[in-house]
Parts: sequence; C-alpha cells; structure tokens
Amino acid sequence: MTARLAPPSPESFTSRLRSPAVAARVGLWLGISFGICFVTGLISHYAQLPSHPIPFPTSPSWGYRLTQGLHVVTGIAAIPLLLVKLWSVLPKLFEGFPLRDPRALVLTGLERGSIAVLVAASIFQLATGVANAAQWYPWSSFSFRTTHYAIAWVAIGALVVHIAVKLPIIRDVLTSDIDATSHDRAGATEPGPLSRRALVRTAFAAAGVAVLATAGNTVPLLRRVSVFAVRTGEGPGGVPINKSAKAARVEESATSSDWRLEVVVDGTVAAALSYDDLRAMPQHTVGLPIACVEGWSAQGTWSGVRLADLLASVDAPADRDVSITSLQESGPYRRTTLPANFAADERTLLALDLSGEPLALDHGYPCRLIAPNRPGVLQTKWLSRLEVST
Amino acid sequence: MTTPRRPSPPLRSSEQHRRDPGVRARLALGALGVLVGLYGALLFLTRQDPGQWLEVAIWFGAGVVAHDVVLSALVIGTCLVGARVLPQAWRAPATIALVVWGALTIATIPMLTRAGARADNATLLDRPYAATWWTMTAIVVVVVAVAGLLRSPRATRRG
Repeated sequence: MTARLAPPSPESFTSRLRSPAVAARVGLWLGISFGICFVTGLISHYAQLPSHPIPFPTSPSWGYRLTQGLHVVTGIAAIPLLLVKLWSVLPKLFEGFPLRDPRALVLTGLERGSIAVLVAASIFQLATGVANAAQWYPWSSFSFRTTHYAIAWVAIGALVVHIAVKLPIIRDVLTSDIDATSHDRAGATEPGPLSRRALVRTAFAAAGVAVLATAGNTVPLLRRVSVFAVRTGEGPGGVPINKSAKAARVEESATSSDWRLEVVVDGTVAAALSYDDLRAMPQHTVGLPIACVEGWSAQGTWSGVRLADLLASVDAPADRDVSITSLQESGPYRRTTLPANFAADERTLLALDLSGEPLALDHGYPCRLIAPNRPGVLQTKWLSRLEVST
Repeated sequence: MTTPRRPSPPLRSSEQHRRDPGVRARLALGALGVLVGLYGALLFLTRQDPGQWLEVAIWFGAGVVAHDVVLSALVIGTCLVGARVLPQAWRAPATIALVVWGALTIATIPMLTRAGARADNATLLDRPYAATWWTMTAIVVVVVAVAGLLRSPRATRRG
C-alpha cells in the first residue's frame, strides 16, 4: 500500500458494508429510538410544568416511571445504533460539491447542512443525556434541561428533513434484499469481514447489550445484570438518593426541634404542625414509585398523612393547586406547584416513613411529598410550607 | 478529484413536483422538519444567553470532531491493522467484538470515569465500573481468540 497525502474521497472507502442497505436498516431503528426519546422527553417536560392546560393524570402511578425509563433505555440503545449508522455512511462526508451547477449546489448545500445539524445535534443529545444520567456536568454555562429540550426539537426536525430527502432510497433498500447493489456507491465492492446482515445484527446486539448493561437503574429484574448502571438501587429504605441533605444544605434546619410544617391559606398561617403533630394524625400507607428525571426509579412503601386530610383539617378547598416549599434555601425546585388533581388524590402523602422506618435525612426527613405519577424532582423533600388560595 | 454526486433524491424541476404526489408529500414532510427544527432553535436562542450559545456551539463542534475525526480514524486504523495482522478466521469475531465492546465503552464513559460521583451520596455510581470493564475486556479477548481458533482452517481440518 502506498502512503497518500490527499484527503480521502468516497472512492477511498471500498467496503460493501458501507452501504445504504445497512444504513437504512440500522437507521430505521435509530429513528424509532429517537422518536420514543422525543415523545417521552416531551411527556417529562409537560409533567414538570407548574400548571397544565390539560391536567396531567395521577394514574397509573407508574406512568412517569415507564416513560422516563423508556427515555433512558432508548437513548442508550441509540448510541451503538448511531455509531454503526454513521460508520456506514462515512464516505459521504468526503463527497465533493457540484460547483458548476448553481441549483444543484444550493440543494446539495442545504442537504449537507441538514445532515451536519442532525449529526451534531444527535451526538450532543446522547452525550449530554448520558452525562446527566450519571450526574456529570462537564459544561460550565448552559442549562442541561433547557438545552437538551431545545436541541431535541432541532434533532427531530433535522431527522424529519433527512427522512424526507432519503425516502425513495430508504423505501427501495428496505424492500430489496440486503445484498442488493442498486444503490451502492461505485467502487464499494470489497467484501468485509462480515456479511451486511451480520453487521446489522451486530449493531442490534450492541444496542441490546448496552441496554442490559445499564437498564437495572429502572428495571429491578436487571439489577444484577446491569453492571454499568449508574446505581445499584441500594439506599436507605431500599431507595437511592438523588440529592443529599448535605448538598441541599438542610442538615441543620431539617433536624431542628423548631421544625414546623406551615400550612398557609390565603396568605395566613392556618396551622404550624410539629413532627409529633403529624405523627398524631391518621396515617396511611401507599406503594408508590419514585422516578427521577435522571432515569432511575424505585418502588417504595410510604406512610404518612394524606395531603387531602391535612388540607380539609384547615378548611382549605380540595380543588386548588398547592404551592410547596422545601427547607432548601436555593435551587430551581425549592418551591414547586402541586396541581389540584394531585393534591386531591388520596394516594398523595406527606410521607414520614419509608419501608416502615422514619425517613432518612437524605430522603427528606422530617417530611416529604410523595404523589403518584409525578417526576421525582417534584416529590419535594424536607417540606417547610404548603400554601393554598381559596 | 472525485466526480461530484448529485444529492440522492430526484428533486429536479418544479414541474415534476407538481406532477408527482410522492415528491409533494416529501416536500411537505421536509417543510415540517424545517419548522420543527427552527422551533427548537428559537427555544434555544430565547431561553439561553449568548455565552451559553457559544458553549453549546463548542460542544456541537467537539462532538462532531470527536466522532468524525478521532473515532473514525481510530476505527479505520484498527481495521487496517486488523486486516494485516489477523488471520481470516479471526476477522468476523473480532469485528463483532469491536462493535459491541467499543459501543458499550463509549456509552458508559460517564460511569467508567465516575466523574459525577459525590462524597455525600453513596447511592450514586456505586458499582466497580473500571474493574468490570477490565473483566469484560478480558472476556471479549478470550472469546475472540477461542472463536478465531475454532474457525481457523487447521481446527476445521482436525475437526
């Protein structure tokens, strides 16, 4: 082989594996993964809105756990699929532009531009998503939540453009034999170490292995298999912790004997309940999952005071949004809104116990909110105040 | 240099667009994609400030360079070396192993580095990821070697 200094051209790539037949087959499942990621991401962002034009349902209680688990699982599966997909189309990166035909040049430029956006946005989404799942934020300025949401629309938009451009080829190669050569690049004729079918199956296997190795975060059955899961699922009361009391800087205020849960109705403190006051009220036990936006979830058995009972005891109306404040002194989730339908649900508790034990400090001692089908980040810990307006 | 290739679809004359319902549907789909993408860009530009735009732009560029330049060159180099060094019988198992092992390694970088681990939270990143990765890598090497030996002509002759 002679050394070449010229940049590669599409003709430098001679393997017949780098073909539309492989790209479309892997791309189909990559597109499905992206679609599921997008829809489940939209559900999560909708669930986190302070108010819902269409009420977010409280049932099934495991709904958010399912959609959030799907989001992370399909995102992980998309990584091997994207890598193989990009490998199969790499020669296109080195294609020239039709410089002499202005019209073709504009069309080619637009198409290549949309591909550049699609590739950059896809890599960005998968990289930031996996980093966020492991609570790693190697960037300094931008907000993960806002950016991951906005770029998701960019990625899906570019994907739809890509599908529109490629549709005839996609249709042709998906309805032909995988070894058909009608859409192959000229010169892409060398047999690779695998057949095309074997390469596509390998991509699917890699996606499956990546899912099995990480999904134990959210699928309890896989805990022992998921050797690369971000969490074992262990924790006080059998539930992991997202943010510790230390990180939230509430260690002192949450353990103080002066702690009271204030219930404010129309701006007036209607009750200030001590831990013992809450313990003296009728206690209820529910099994509810905690499902975090970072993609882990766990089922817990929670006991405490029914929120609806507490609101009724101070004559607050049952059909109002409840503003919930934590002892945390800062952070975007210090103060959140619990929609009226969640406040009225009899499964929504001001939990004092988890798995029959008093809440661990890191789980929100003395008292936390637990509601069905609600993003974990809004299951406020270390409660300090509930506010209702009549 | 190379012969410039046309963009794949037959988006040629506006007359053809009018005649072919397939092309019209694709144009509509493409327009929808552009709108969705622009909505995302608008969300991004209005909800983040210019300093944040710049950092996201750097991340966009870095992701593409990491894949299109670094990873692609590594894979091409590995394949060139593999094609010279490995006997024919070893190449298929080695390729399968490279895809599965490589993709899993890339997908688990945040776990392998444990960069997000925090002293105050023992429930986060609480597995021996690096040890597991080395074990997995050793198993992959052994499996490829066994598969290569079993598939080699000498083994086939003996069998």
